[in-house]
This record gives sequence, C-alpha cells and structure tokens, in this order.
Amino acid sequence: MSTTVLSDPAEEETATPARVASIRHKKRRDPVSAAMTVFGILVFCFLFLPILVIFIYSFNTGRLLAAWEGFGFNAYINAAGNQVIRGSVLTSLQAAFGTAILSTILGTLGGLALARAKHKAKWATILTGLLALTLVTPEIVDAISILPWFVSLGTDFGITPINNGMVRLVVAHTVMSIAVVTFIVRARMQGTDMALEEAAADLYASPWNRFFQITLPIAAPGILAGALMSFTLSLDNTIVSSFVQVPGNTPWPVYIFSALKVSLRPEIAAVSAIMLLLTLVALAVVALVLRRMGESSTDIAKTIAGA
Amino acid sequence: MRKFSRRGASVAALSFPTWAYLVFFFIIPVGLVLWYSFGYKPDLFTAHSNSTLSFDRYVEAMDPTFLSTFINTLQIAGLGTLICLLVGIPFAYWMAVKVPSKWRGLLVALVLVPFWTNFLVRTLGWQIVLAPEGFVSDALQNLGILNGPIEILYTRAAVQLGVVYNYLPLMILPLFVSLDRAGVSLREASRDLGANRWRTMFEVTLPLAAPGIISGALLVFIPLMGDYITASVLGGAQGNMVGQLVANQFNSAQNWALGSAMAVMLMVFILLTVVIVGAIYLIIRAILRFNRRVLIEEPAS
Repeated sequence: MSTTVLSDPAEEETATPARVASIRHKKRRDPVSAAMTVFGILVFCFLFLPILVIFIYSFNTGRLLAAWEGFGFNAYINAAGNQVIRGSVLTSLQAAFGTAILSTILGTLGGLALARAKHKAKWATILTGLLALTLVTPEIVDAISILPWFVSLGTDFGITPINNGMVRLVVAHTVMSIAVVTFIVRARMQGTDMALEEAAADLYASPWNRFFQITLPIAAPGILAGALMSFTLSLDNTIVSSFVQVPGNTPWPVYIFSALKVSLRPEIAAVSAIMLLLTLVALAVVALVLRRMGESSTDIAKTIAGA
Repeated sequence: MRKFSRRGASVAALSFPTWAYLVFFFIIPVGLVLWYSFGYKPDLFTAHSNSTLSFDRYVEAMDPTFLSTFINTLQIAGLGTLICLLVGIPFAYWMAVKVPSKWRGLLVALVLVPFWTNFLVRTLGWQIVLAPEGFVSDALQNLGILNGPIEILYTRAAVQLGVVYNYLPLMILPLFVSLDRAGVSLREASRDLGANRWRTMFEVTLPLAAPGIISGALLVFIPLMGDYITASVLGGAQGNMVGQLVANQFNSAQNWALGSAMAVMLMVFILLTVVIVGAIYLIIRAILRFNRRVLIEEPAS
C-alpha cells in the first residue's frame, strides 16, 4: 500500500532523460487508463442498478411492486402496520444476532487456536480441512442434511429445545458462518507477534488476564469483522432457513421467497430499503471503530470483506 | 520440551468447542445424508428406510431429467464464472492499480454494498428492471430501439445475468486483494528491465494474481452450483437447477433416499472440481517455475 506513496519524491526534482521518457510513457498509456476508468464506472452502475431500482420502487403507491403507479410513502406505512412482516423481520434480526454471537465465540476460539498451532500440527490441518469443507458445501446440502437431524434430535433423542424455531435458525446458520469467522480471526492473528503474549506471561499475567488484556484486543478487528460477516450471512440466508424454519418463526428472506409465488408488493421493497440503510450504518460504525484502532482504509475494507 | 507439548495440547484444547460443534451439526448430519442415500423409499407415506442397502438410488438419480438439469446448471455456473472473471480481472486491476490509493478503500466499500444487500432483494431488483411492462422496456420502446416489450425475463439469459450480478463481488474481492498485494514496484521493475506492457501483464501481473483468480473462481463457481434462488426468481419454469431437484425430493416428493443420492453426487462433483482446479494450479505453477528458473553459472576464471 505504501509503495505508491513512496515512489515519487526523489525523482521529482531531477528531469533526467529517463524521467522524460517515463512522462512520455505515461501519456501513451492514457487512452487505456481512460478506457479502464469508463469500464470501472460502468461496472459500478451495473452493481448499483437493481439496488437503486428497489430503493425507488419502495415509494411506489401501486398494489404490485413492478407496476409503477405514483410516488408516496404508502408502502412504508403499510409495512409498519403489517404484523406478519414485522414478525418476520424481527425473527431475522434475532436469528442474526444469535448467529453472530454463537459463531463469533466458536470462530474466535478456532481462529486463535489455529493461529497458535505448531506448524503442521495434525489437529490444525484436519480442522482447517473441515472448515474448508463447510465452506464448499452447497447450501442445499446443509439444508437437507440438518433438517432430518433436527427432527431426530427433537423427537428420538428428546432434546426439545431443538424444536424451537429460533434455536434451529441460529444453530443452522452458525454451521455456515463458523468457518468465515475462524479464517478472519486466524488471518488477523497470524500477522501479529506472539512475543507480546510471552512478555505478558513473563510479567506474571495470569492466563486469564493475558487473554483479555493482550490476545483479545489484538484480535478485536478480526472478531468484529467476523461478527458482522456472520450477522449478514444469517440475515441473507434463504435456502437453509426455509428448510429448518418452524411455523411462526418465518425469517424475512423466506417470507419474500414465498411472496414471490403469490404477488410481490411494494412493502417488500420498503422493508428492504430500511434494512439496507441499517446495514450501511452498521458497516460505517464498524469502519469508524476500526479506523480509531488505527487501521488504514484499504485494510478496513479488506478486514470487512474477510480477505 | 515438556513445556512445549503441554502448550500444544492447550492450544488444541482451545479449539475443542469449534470441533465439537462442527462434528455434531455438520459431520453427523452430512454423514446421515450419505447413509440415507443407500436406502430406499418403502411406500408412499414413509420418507425413507435403510433396511436394505444398495446403490440403486444413484442409478435412479442418473435419469435424463437429472442429467439435463445437471448439465444446465453446470453450463450456467461455468459461463457465469467465466463472465465474472472477464469482468472482474480488468475491474480489480483498475481498482488496485489505476485508482489513486486514497480512493481505494471507498471503492472496495462500494463493491461491498451489493454484497450486503439481501440476495433475494437484489434479484428482485433485476426482475423489475427486466419486466416486459417495466420502465426499461418502456424506455426502449419509446426510443424506438425495440418494437415490442423486452422478452428477457424468465429466459436463460436472465438467469445468466442474475447469476453474474449476484456473484461478481465474490470474484472482485479476492482478485483485488491479490493484485493489491502484488504492488506496483514489481511491475515497474519489469518495465525497467525492458518488458513491454503485454509481457509485464502476462509474465508479472497475471501470475501474481493467480491465487486471487483461483480463489475467486472457486468462490463463484461453488455456491453457484448449489444456488437455485436466482434461477427461480429470474428463470421461472426455465430456471431449473440441481439444487431445486434436491429440494423437491425432500419437500414435495418426500423421497429422502433419492434426494440424498442427488445431494451426494452434487457434493462429490464440487469436491472433485476443487481438487482438479487445485491440481492444475499446482502443475502450472511447477512448470512455470521450472521454465523460469535462473541458472547461476560458476564464474569462469
């Protein structure tokens, strides 16, 4: 990142032949650069077109989402008054919070352990493979495998909490986001020095203190990014949710998916617009927190992207 | 020495909850699906039985409907990955190289916005855009570009478009990270050593971006093989994907054995793809390294 900044100052004063040549070189590159900029902007337009459309159509006063009638806030008012919509949004948010908490705890433990594992420790290799396997498993396979398991846990084994719709959503979503959190935390911890922890140990910090005063603050940006990621993954999930859901605990995407078969109303766009705004606010808050921790903007973007 | 092994054990113990959770809610359920796939559907009202074991469900799954749907899914996923690559490489290159570094963070955040928007809602946005009575259709007709309403919704083209749209950010991010990590200095060095733009592109930039290309392609291709939501929103009856067939066996047909066999085949196919792509990558890298090795000769005295 810093390489771009570093390249120039020394060359600035000396207009050597090489410098002139490089200026000429830059001029010759211009058409390509301009074409790439145009291309980049077009791709951004492509990426934002449907989102913008949803946002605009959330002000549609018509009965059907796709048929524009006029501008108004009816959809927002109707959505706020619709108990089924309110319930499903609430279910989704609760499930997302639960998933974020559970998968962040499990993923942080896994990530810390993997980052501290000795090179080529057998358990670490197997755990990494297992996590990678959860990542490459298609959602539909997760869905059809966990539903019969939930049913037999709930009925044959008598573990009744699993019959609760919310528990099912959280447990199933966590399976899919644990790997993401683990890998983000591991990436974060691999870049840091173990000497800090060793120093703390040498200074007679108890393992407990060492963990909470040294390890956790270092891992914090990764943990935060992982939590955010699992929150969104859960909020987004349609396929697994539609399998494991229990009537009365229908999450928002499943509600949309079933509305798709009947008729799509502007309320869906209105709620989606609000949820997008909330997500962006949450993202901005996380980005601010990371910046205050002293991360650069590219690093923040990368951490949030989980890369 | 003893201290070290104890340390290793305590680190391993730290990961125990993660282990336990994955075994209990991932390994066992997937193992059960594998077990179900050897069973059969005894009668109309029972979902499944394992009293006799056989490979019959795999034979049954290989019927023309499944195979044609599978090939259809494969084509959509393959073409989708290719288009994502073709769009993603120049775009990520532009973000990582051409854009001033102070804007980069903002642009990455912007690429992430669609990614943070609900998957279904984004797809619904396309449904509005592509609708025959929608505003794009009206505009094109008013401008005289089209004579009738656009007929793209509920076709294969719509599914392909939606798929590219939904998975493009997953391609861009790893590409951007690998190109950004490669840095400008190596490209400048290549230019200083007399390589022209194309040579720099093919011998420096692309090889450095290779890990990003591989992980981007897998990140797009794998979820795409199992996705049936995009296809059912934009493809209607045309959008039958393998995932839908598997879901139908569990939802409507109540034939767990057959559905499990299909799921296992899908899973095996994806794992094979990952292994093959990984092997090809390693082989190409080994060949390139061998060809590019620099022999340092003994100085002739």
